[in-house]
Amino acid sequence: MKNRKTSVFDGLVGDNTVLSSLMVISPVIMCGTDISNAIALIYAFSAITFFSVILGSFVPKKLPYAAKIIIYAVIASLVYIPVRTAAGMFFPEVIGRVGIYFPLLAVNSLIIVQSETKFYRMKRLPMIASLVFYILGFDAVMLITAFIRELLGSGTINGRVVDADTIISGLGMPFGGFIFLGLFCGLYRAVRSAVRREENEGGGDSDVHGN
Amino acid sequence: MFMVIEFVVLLSSNLILMQALGTSTLFIAAGNKKNLLWTAITITIFTTLGSGAAYFIKNLLPSGIADLTLLFYVLIIGIIYVLLLAALYFAGGETFKKARKYVHLSAYNCAVMGTVITVAGRAETMPEYNHFMSFVSAGAEAGSGFILAAFILTAAYRKLNSSKVPAAFRGFPAMLIYLGLISMAVYALR
Repeated sequence: MKNRKTSVFDGLVGDNTVLSSLMVISPVIMCGTDISNAIALIYAFSAITFFSVILGSFVPKKLPYAAKIIIYAVIASLVYIPVRTAAGMFFPEVIGRVGIYFPLLAVNSLIIVQSETKFYRMKRLPMIASLVFYILGFDAVMLITAFIRELLGSGTINGRVVDADTIISGLGMPFGGFIFLGLFCGLYRAVRSAVRREENEGGGDSDVHGN
Repeated sequence: MFMVIEFVVLLSSNLILMQALGTSTLFIAAGNKKNLLWTAITITIFTTLGSGAAYFIKNLLPSGIADLTLLFYVLIIGIIYVLLLAALYFAGGETFKKARKYVHLSAYNCAVMGTVITVAGRAETMPEYNHFMSFVSAGAEAGSGFILAAFILTAAYRKLNSSKVPAAFRGFPAMLIYLGLISMAVYALR
């Protein structure tokens, strides 16, 4: 039971979509510069990925790999249309700022690659739970990155000026995104291995490892 | 001097260093020089052919159904994907077995889709670029940018994965920081 729970929550912590699997990193690097961008991208990524993966699960498994990949991409680009229309109403100014990274969410690797190698090998209910946590994994990283980069890069939080002593304007640039994500990724891996080490030391006797 | 200027242009419009497109594919392929070279070549084929096809979609698609543009881009990349696999299949069983993974890896890559969307967007804002050869050359340029970024990463790959780098930062985190530093240097050249 413990093992099953762990695998469902993996996308959020243990095998985070962005920090561990390095999927969907370009919107985080390029657009994770302020909270308003992050909220628009979180909405679009969550909606497109959730509905595309769910709809894609009805595609016959026996089709050739390439045919399935093309169908998943077509489904995602169809789901993108209403998501884009709604985004135009709720986040009109963000859409322009985000540019190509908005439509690119429709061909993200969670839909194109991970669905075939991970999600569609699971039963539907655990698949939906796992998918939700993978999506939340991206959402959390996007929000944290945007919060820190906006605070340190512009001295604001969601557009409101705060009393920040030091402004590192480079954090708002693409290179700042690369460096920040690299540091975040390293920190995540250090914390994760420390937690796992502690778990192994603390629960070594009681844990049952099936493998 | 001409070569230097061209090199700087290629760097400053680089889709990995300036737009972070295809970064994760680059990291995955970087472990093996042969993989990296073939991935970069396949991506270049996709960006070039895809951009050429995007010219027709951009100019033939009625403005009333502009919302379907992404769907058409996806379909056109899908057609190129199938054609490339078919070409490899007819080239011979061994070639097909060896090379198909690069086609699978590259087809719906962010670098490919991002290039197609960027090239079409540029022609929208700057009509002087709205001709077939401009689309094709922009696609080829984006692909060569990927190859260039691949070489830059390969140069430091072994050191970034060595035991001298702290375990938590070894591999992907170190590569991200390294690309960030190269990106910063390129930014200064613009």
